Amino acid sequence: MLTNEQSILHFDFHSQVVKPDRLVRTSHAHYLELSRRLIHVYQSSVGEPRKVLHRRVQQILQPIEDCPTRRIAAFCKLLDDESVYAKDKAGAAAKLRSRVFGLAAKRHPLVQSADQLFDHCESIVKAEIAAEFGRPWDEIAGQLFNDVIEFHPLKTPPLDLQPSDLLSRYNVAQTQTALYGAVSMTVWAKQDFKNILRYAKLARLMHSIRRQDDTYVFRFNGPASVVRSTKRYGVNFARFLPSLLAADDWRMQATVVGPMKRRFALQLSSHDGLKGRIEDADFDSRIEEMFFTEWHGKERCGWELTRESAILHQAQTVFMPDFTLRHPQHGEVLLEIVGFWTPEYLRKKAATLERFRRSGRILLAIAESVNESIPDLGIERIVYKSKLLPKTVLAALNEMV
Amino acid sequence: MFDPHLSDDDQPRDHSPVRLSFEQGTLTLCGVSNDLIKKVFEPAQWVFDVRSQSYRTDAYQYREVVDRMKNRIAGTFQDEVPDWKPISIRQPNLHHLRADQTEAVDAWMKTRRGVVVMPTGTGKTEVALQIICRLGCSVLVVAPVRDLMYQWHERIIKATGIDAGIIGDGVHRVSPISVTTYDSASIHMARIGNRFELIIFDECHHLPSPMRQDAALMCAAPYRLGLTATPQRGRGKVENNDAYDEFLGPRVYTQAIEAARGKTLAAYDVIRIAVHLSDEERSRYTRLGKIVAKYISDRRADTPDYDWKALCRDSGHSPEARRALVAFHAKRSIEDRAADKLRIIEDLFRLHAGEPVIVFCGSNAMARDVSLRFLIPCLLSHCRKRERQEILSGLREGRYPAIVANRVLDEGVDLPEVNVAIVVGGGAGTRQALQRLGRVLRKNQFGGAVFYEIVTAGTRDELRSRSRRSSDAFRVKSC
Repeated sequence: MLTNEQSILHFDFHSQVVKPDRLVRTSHAHYLELSRRLIHVYQSSVGEPRKVLHRRVQQILQPIEDCPTRRIAAFCKLLDDESVYAKDKAGAAAKLRSRVFGLAAKRHPLVQSADQLFDHCESIVKAEIAAEFGRPWDEIAGQLFNDVIEFHPLKTPPLDLQPSDLLSRYNVAQTQTALYGAVSMTVWAKQDFKNILRYAKLARLMHSIRRQDDTYVFRFNGPASVVRSTKRYGVNFARFLPSLLAADDWRMQATVVGPMKRRFALQLSSHDGLKGRIEDADFDSRIEEMFFTEWHGKERCGWELTRESAILHQAQTVFMPDFTLRHPQHGEVLLEIVGFWTPEYLRKKAATLERFRRSGRILLAIAESVNESIPDLGIERIVYKSKLLPKTVLAALNEMV
Repeated sequence: MFDPHLSDDDQPRDHSPVRLSFEQGTLTLCGVSNDLIKKVFEPAQWVFDVRSQSYRTDAYQYREVVDRMKNRIAGTFQDEVPDWKPISIRQPNLHHLRADQTEAVDAWMKTRRGVVVMPTGTGKTEVALQIICRLGCSVLVVAPVRDLMYQWHERIIKATGIDAGIIGDGVHRVSPISVTTYDSASIHMARIGNRFELIIFDECHHLPSPMRQDAALMCAAPYRLGLTATPQRGRGKVENNDAYDEFLGPRVYTQAIEAARGKTLAAYDVIRIAVHLSDEERSRYTRLGKIVAKYISDRRADTPDYDWKALCRDSGHSPEARRALVAFHAKRSIEDRAADKLRIIEDLFRLHAGEPVIVFCGSNAMARDVSLRFLIPCLLSHCRKRERQEILSGLREGRYPAIVANRVLDEGVDLPEVNVAIVVGGGAGTRQALQRLGRVLRKNQFGGAVFYEIVTAGTRDELRSRSRRSSDAFRVKSC
């Protein structure tokens, strides 16, 4: 992620909207070529110190009419993030310094021209130390501060990074910087709830959930946010953003505290073309996957099946049944499949079901082998052997409605 | 049908006991009615949080909340906040306190909260260690930078024999007696804020920045001590006492710098030396200056009030403005790293041969220049703990005749006794110079101390030095 010093945000005081810097094909086509050159600089500078790489990036971008200093710094940071530098973990530079300074201490002060009182001439002492090491002085001097960040030598450059990837990362990173100042975030989502909630939780955010027809409204912030307005969770929002970007069919609005403590809106949606990176969560089990595939083969008496499309929640506990079955006349039934799991999992599942049993119409499908482990909760249940069949579910639905 | 609001009424609120807990840097209170909240607490002291179905407030309110609850809800609440363990100090090894230090300890002990104001170098740490040993409770010490954090760690071992936990600088070892930095504290306090009964903020004038305030806000410690030499935040700003009062308590003891000067601090002179740019430097300096001046005058032809801020803004989109900005920084660098400064340092090293010397630089680059030229150790922010200690003990024990440091050592770092300090250029403000001065020139075996300031003549370096000297802590002897 970028720092505030690399962030470029446009605050529109009239519409009270914040727009992060963004490089787009229409107006910034030339950045694709620049980006290619920047990647090339890194790829061809293995062994050079970070400082030199940054200077080379600067030389390319400095003359570009529309390239602010912060954008230059941001490109350096993004390229650094994709690279590996030798960080002198073993402390070789510190050891070298200790030896060199130790040798020089007895000859202090090193003077420009020796006289009767001070007879240690700088150039002679340095030559003597070099002789003791058996290496030229310039080489020793060049390694003396190798552990300083600016002098870390580049070990591995970004090898597979495409110019368009770099630009896409730039756009996401700048949007993240807008969130550093955010105090809350609201997401309207029609899909991918599980991923959204899971990654929000991983980013240590708290949620409140509302439903508007087929849309869920998630409001995210942190524990202290109800007590006072705080930017403390800004980094958490920024960390969460790439996972949101990887989801489908959503829009988001964050409240960002900008200049003069004024509030601005950051608005995004899944149609903005920003790309996120997460690995997609798949079906919890084979049983669910098989059931889902099989269901879609035939007409099912008007019942429509969707995955994880309803959320039951109490305070910070969330229960997302595996499937939702919707019927134009009969409304909604939630289907939860309990497969072959550990006793701890089953205990937890029973507790969750107990807690949410009155929050909606739930149908439970339990594997025969674990049927005994879940007590009677007053929830409709069907027991399956090795495979859950659509017709079994349909039969149970007919009894329920 | 599924009703998202049903869950709110599902909570067995009325039957559960009154429970006060620590959650992520906040306090939560469950099992109380709105009426009770109104009766017992100030309005707005608690906020109802629908997300967790409990009342919530900042953790620093803990002491007051408990006091009120003990008085009003007799014995019927569960306090799950404290997670602190007593520490046992078998034989405290403390220095004998001076009268003023004892006065400070006693003043604080009356309320067990508040700020102690004492000039740098007058033993604030001793006051804090005395308090730690007297209370014998779990304690977290928050220091401005990691050097100071390590220094506290050492002082605590010496005084209590306990190897304190460290939170920061890549280490996360929380124990009942721990040290940390402001930055780490504000990040981690949400998780560790209920593990300490006493919290000490060293150089607590660092506290009033919004992010850092979290270090105080998210901590439930009932006992709070702030230590500072300079309660104001920079020149011209109104003292931000509200922040202290709220989080740490009011000022309980104040000792003025004038009272300490000459008594516990060394008597010192400030000698200012001007250096001149070489012909080559001067011509580059002038050329760069012209780039900046021309750019600004060109702009002023259209926009008469075009200023520095506008230049910075324009550097965003205008390559010329960018060039002017680069020229300006190159100019600063020439001032900072003027070759003549190295010649003067050589002269001073000759003059004070045999005496330990510390050279302070305004930038890392200059500090490395000095280090490379004289092959003396340089204390920079990247130095790891072991190297720092090796350098400082080297100077103390005479293995190193001189060291060079950058602003790392601005505040509070215990330096070996020296009576010669050289400050090279740099854009330090009054507060920094003041604290730096106090650090370097402690009362020592050499009696009087000398403080040299090397500035580049005819540049902005000189202006900065002038503003520095406007503080009453400086008495310039000669130029």
